[in-house]
Amino acid sequence: MTFFDGRKIIPGLLFFVGLVTYPIWYNTLSGKATSVPKLEIPKDKKECIEPKNIIRVHHKEILEDWRTSVVRNGMRVYQASNQKKYTMSLNRTCMECHKDKTKFCDRCHTYMGVTNKCWDCHLYPQELEKGAK
Amino acid sequence: MRNKEHRLIDQEIPLLEHVRRSGKGFYLTISILIALVLWGVYAYLTQYRIGLGVTGLSRQIFWGVYITNFVFFIGISHAGTFISAILRVVKAEWRRPISRLSELTTVFILFFGVGSVLIDLGRPDRMLYAIRYAHFRSPLLWDVCSIATYLTVSSICLYLALIPDIAIMRDIGMKKRQWLYEILSLGFTGTEKQWHRLEKAIMFMSIIVIPIMITVHTVVSYVFAMTIQPMWHSAIFGPYFVAGALFSGIATVITIMTILRKVYHLEEYLKPIHFYNLGTLLLAMTLLWLYFTLGEYVATFYGNEPSQMAIFWSKLTGQYAPLFWLHFILCFVIPFPILANPKTRTIKGTLIASISINIGMWLERFVIIVPTLTRQRIPVEGAIYIPTWVEWSILIGCLSFFSLLYALFTKFFPIIPIWEIHEGRGKSIDEVKRRLQSYLPGKE
Amino acid sequence: MAGLTFLGLMVKPGWEVVSQIKPLEPSPAPEGFSGKKWAMAVDLKKCWEAKEGCKDCILACHLVHNVPSIGSLKEEVKWIWTIEYGKAFPEHLHDFNRDEYRGRPVIVFCNQCDDPPCVKYCPTRATWKREDGIVMMDFHRCIGCRYCMAGCPYGSRSFNWRDPRPFIQKVNLEFPTRTKGVVEKCNFCEERLAKGLLPACVEACKEKALIFGDLNDPNSEMRRILMGRHILQRQPELGTKPKVYYMV
Repeated sequence: MTFFDGRKIIPGLLFFVGLVTYPIWYNTLSGKATSVPKLEIPKDKKECIEPKNIIRVHHKEILEDWRTSVVRNGMRVYQASNQKKYTMSLNRTCMECHKDKTKFCDRCHTYMGVTNKCWDCHLYPQELEKGAK
Repeated sequence: MRNKEHRLIDQEIPLLEHVRRSGKGFYLTISILIALVLWGVYAYLTQYRIGLGVTGLSRQIFWGVYITNFVFFIGISHAGTFISAILRVVKAEWRRPISRLSELTTVFILFFGVGSVLIDLGRPDRMLYAIRYAHFRSPLLWDVCSIATYLTVSSICLYLALIPDIAIMRDIGMKKRQWLYEILSLGFTGTEKQWHRLEKAIMFMSIIVIPIMITVHTVVSYVFAMTIQPMWHSAIFGPYFVAGALFSGIATVITIMTILRKVYHLEEYLKPIHFYNLGTLLLAMTLLWLYFTLGEYVATFYGNEPSQMAIFWSKLTGQYAPLFWLHFILCFVIPFPILANPKTRTIKGTLIASISINIGMWLERFVIIVPTLTRQRIPVEGAIYIPTWVEWSILIGCLSFFSLLYALFTKFFPIIPIWEIHEGRGKSIDEVKRRLQSYLPGKE
Repeated sequence: MAGLTFLGLMVKPGWEVVSQIKPLEPSPAPEGFSGKKWAMAVDLKKCWEAKEGCKDCILACHLVHNVPSIGSLKEEVKWIWTIEYGKAFPEHLHDFNRDEYRGRPVIVFCNQCDDPPCVKYCPTRATWKREDGIVMMDFHRCIGCRYCMAGCPYGSRSFNWRDPRPFIQKVNLEFPTRTKGVVEKCNFCEERLAKGLLPACVEACKEKALIFGDLNDPNSEMRRILMGRHILQRQPELGTKPKVYYMV
């Protein structure tokens, strides 16, 4: 039969629970949980190579397939589901419209905590203007 | 009820001393080793952050200390197999106290052999691509396969031979780690049937690890021999590297034996005769190494092919002459007289020879790899290679980490196999007597 | 435990099968590569007519491909450069070479060999020989082991010993840069060939000393030239079957 020292244990337990659930209650209270990242969409173009709902989910696979196709198979023409033909190129197709990755790609990626290594090598059009030589 | 066969007898209690008690010296050594390891980690992180440019490597000489470490460490790993497996197969009774410490050397150093290659990669985050996109035509993939096999089989060998001792540890009852010994002993109780099975398994693994051992260093040599670079593209590299591996491996085991003997007071078990016998084997390896080295260099010299001779002279009289002749002195001139004379084949003598051989063999790997790269087939000005602090720190870090793991192992398991000594005292004497009688003339 | 891990790993692929999400496939619409066999001819006589220290081809190549100028012999990255005649063709060196060859600069770059040793040694197949003859380099897959560099008898390959971006003098957005830790080399401007352009070096040479063409086309300028003058190759006895032909 052991007594437990309620005065020490219960506050300690509450502190621990508060610490562990910190991400939940902090994000809810500060409004961050409900905020959706705002993407800067190109003003002049109406559609992407694929419909929004597909490209949003599959753009990673599409780009990886493009990479394999261009680099390893030498095939550069992509036939989209709307029957239009596009060049399989991150810079020449995607970044042609979404010129600045910091205002488009990074917005969602930062929010979701996704890191990609594309930009270690690939340059985007606005990069030069920002003084990256 | 426990079988009396594996009950610890009073004579063998000293073998558990180092597991049960740790002195100040141990904690001091561990602290120094941890500090060196952390320094090595810091050096590697610098390299990871900035790139391989922090090393002394260059566009011309792009393989250096790391690849030397790789070949050297894989070479040392042949020690365990040779001493534990081959001596077990030929039933050499004197291998009993040294089988575990040499197997342990093999298993642990293989991690650093592989580690050295991974450290050398430009994109280590992609290291698994070698498995995912494996291109089996590449000798590096043959390396991956053979070293993985060797590591697996050696670990199994080490573990199997460890089981009876774990059972002893479990039976004695070590308070803090009892759960570990309970799990690892696999319910070994020392029955006749279990012993029979265990001995069969150990013998089987010992036999198959021998061809694997030979394949491993042959395949490592093929990384160089399969290229068309002058003084790399040589058919003798396979046996040359295997002989060199056994050579440096036995030397390493002698060094480790001397340290353990001193530090853990194992004078009763690691006797001068063990060093004498290992010294004899080392002598044989010295001569074998000399044979292959002479074969390699004399054939090159006699052939007199320009691209090869450029590198030959660079090694003998040119830029790499100091290192070349130093390695020859360390690998042959110093050890041979010590080992050839039975009077100097003592513990001290073999230790001096072994240290000399280990340094010499590291230099030998260096002298094989780097001079060829200074020229390949086209003379290039200004190609020098001076390793930086990063490379030396990582080498020291690897050696320290190996020593650290080794020392920690000795705190969990006895480094001298208790059951093998016990078996030696009992069953083996009768067995050897019977064997000897079967050789002599007359009926069985 | 192994069984549980396996089950866990099967969740994502299993879910994809069950929910019938089909990832879109790129349509095969290949450019016309089939049947071509690219090669380069270097007319050394024309090259030597240029002014002293001409570097047009080198500058063009390095500009188009974002090749960094590291500035040290130790870490330099170069796709095309010059070496002295005796080093380019050591087997042709003897005591009585003509003075007009001795010491003259010869442009060298990846020979795009037909039997490339580098391709054999790559553990991940990050370099491979395409059917049109170009020995390709996949910077996404290279793990930086540098075994291909050990295999190349010509020293054509360079390694990125540090991040190249700070060292690129003028960035070309059309072509990616590389990261530290990967190997690179001349790629016969395969991305320009895909657009129907000539390699950058060929276009940049004012003396028209570089000729690029299709060996499989019997009417090409390439074939005509090879029939004409005496051709040298770099170390053909090694069996690499280089595709760069030098005319003296």
